[in-house]
Amino acid sequence: MLKWSIIWENLPFLLAGAGTTLALTVVSMVFATAAGLLVGLLNMYGGKVVGAITRLYIEVVRGTPALLIILLVYYALPIVGINLPQFPAAAVSLAACYAAYIAEVFRAAVESIPKGQSEAAFSLGMSRLQALRFVILPQTFRRVLPPLANEFAALIKDTSLVAFISMQDLLFKAKIIGARTYNPMSPLIGAAIIYLLMTTPVMQWSRNLEKRVD
Amino acid sequence: MPVDQHQAGKILNVEDLHKSFGSLEVIKGVGFDMDYQERLVLMGPSGSGKSTLVRCLNWIEPPTSGRVTFDGVLVDPKSTDIRRLREDIGMVFQQFNVFPHLTALQNVALGPVVVKKGNRTAAEAEAMELLAKVGLSHRAAYKPGQMSGGEQQRVAIARALAMHPKLMLFDEPTSSIDIELIHEVLEVMVKLADEGMTMIVVTHEMGFAREVADRVIFMDQGLIIESGTPKELFDHPQQERTQSFLSKVLMA
Ligand SMILES: Nc1ncnc2c1ncn2[C@@H]1O[C@H](COP(=O)(O)OP(=O)(O)O)[C@@H](O)[C@H]1O
Ligand SMILES: [Mg+2]
Repeated sequence: MLKWSIIWENLPFLLAGAGTTLALTVVSMVFATAAGLLVGLLNMYGGKVVGAITRLYIEVVRGTPALLIILLVYYALPIVGINLPQFPAAAVSLAACYAAYIAEVFRAAVESIPKGQSEAAFSLGMSRLQALRFVILPQTFRRVLPPLANEFAALIKDTSLVAFISMQDLLFKAKIIGARTYNPMSPLIGAAIIYLLMTTPVMQWSRNLEKRVD
Repeated sequence: MPVDQHQAGKILNVEDLHKSFGSLEVIKGVGFDMDYQERLVLMGPSGSGKSTLVRCLNWIEPPTSGRVTFDGVLVDPKSTDIRRLREDIGMVFQQFNVFPHLTALQNVALGPVVVKKGNRTAAEAEAMELLAKVGLSHRAAYKPGQMSGGEQQRVAIARALAMHPKLMLFDEPTSSIDIELIHEVLEVMVKLADEGMTMIVVTHEMGFAREVADRVIFMDQGLIIESGTPKELFDHPQQERTQSFLSKVLMA
C-alpha cells in the first residue's frame, strides 16, 4: 500500500541517506578513475608480467559480484590487521571494483587512437610517457567521458550494496523507515524516485556526449 | 682504417639492413650511404619495403639486423639513445599524423617544449616562423580538422623542422593529398632542398625527383635494384624491373 505521507514525512531522513549515497559514489568514482587509468596503462605498457597481473585483476574483479568484494574488504581486511571504518571500506571496495571496468574503458580509448599518432610523437623524440601525456591521453578524453558517465550512473546504484555492511545509505534508510512504519513499500518507492533523479541526468549527459563525439 | 675513410663525411651509412615481421622478411639486405645535403628519392612498387626501410632509419621499426651509422655514430640500440637519434631525424608521414587536439602552432611547438624542454614563448615564436615558412601563418590557431590535407602536411613538415633535424625523411608525403593541393607541399620540399636540407623522399612524383634528387634509388621486393641520377635512372634504366615500373608510373 503506497502512502505518500510516509515518504513526505521521512523525506529529510531519506535525503540524508541520499547524501551518503552521493558522497560514497563521488569518492569511489574519483579513486576508481585514477586506479582504472593506472591499471589500464600498466596493462598496456607494463610489459609481460605486469600486463598479466593487471589482466588477472581485471578479469577476476569483472567476474566477481561487487557485493562479494565489499564483504571481503569489510570482513577479511581486519583479519590481516587492517581495520577500515565503514565509509572508507565501502569506498575502497567499490573503487577496486570499478577500477577494473574503467581500466577497460581507458584501454579501449587508447587503442582507438591511430598508431600514427604515437609514431609521430616518437619521431619527435618523445618517450612513451611523454607521448601518452601530451598526445594520446588528451585525445582519449572525449571518448572516455560517455562510458565514464555510464559507470558513474551504475555506481550510484551499486552503492546500495553497502547496506549489507550496515551503512546508512539511501536504500538502508528506506528499509529502516519501512520497518518503523510497517509499510516497506512506500519508502522504497520514495528511494526509487530519488535514485532515478540522480541517475537519469547522468545517463542523459552521457548520451548527449556520445552524440557529440560522433 | 679504410672503412672509416670510406665513411668520412657521410651523414648516413646503411649496411646489409634486414627487417622481418615475424617470418616475413621485408628488407632483405639493403646498403647505401648518403652525403650531407644530399637529396635521395626512393621509388618502387607498393609493398617493396620503402616505408619499412625509411622507418628503420629512426628505429620506429627496429631493424632485425644490419648496421646504420648516422652522423658518424654507429647506431646500437643497446648503447645509443634512440630518442636522441630521433630528435636529429625528422619524419613526415603519408597520413600526416598531425595532432588533432592541438592547433597548428601547438603542433609545431610541442616537440621543442616537451622533448627539448625549451621555453614555451620562444618555442611558439619559432613555430610561428616555421608556419610562415610553409605558408601557413594564417592557420596558426586552426586545428587539423579545419585544414585541408595539403595544409595538414605542411604543418607536419613544420613540426618536424622545429626539432632542427639533420636529416628529413618523407614517406609518400603527397600520396594522401588532393591532386590540386600537391604542389603546395612539393614547393615547401623544394624550398627545403634549396636551403641544403639532407632528405630522403619516398615519392612517385617524377617532376619533383628530376628537379630535386641528386640520386634516385629503385627498390623492389626488399632489395635495391638500381640507383643513379634521375637522368640515368629515368632515361636509361638498366634493369627490366625498373623499366616496367617506370612505364607504369608514367602511364598513370
Ligand atoms: N607492421 C607490419 N607488420 C607486418 N607486415 C608489415 C608491416 N609493415 C609492413 N609490412 C609488410 O611489409 C611489406 C613492405 O611494406 P612497406 O614497407 O609498407 O612497403 P612500401 O612502403 O614500399 O609500400 C609489405 O608486404 C607489408 O605488408
Ligand atoms: Mg609505403
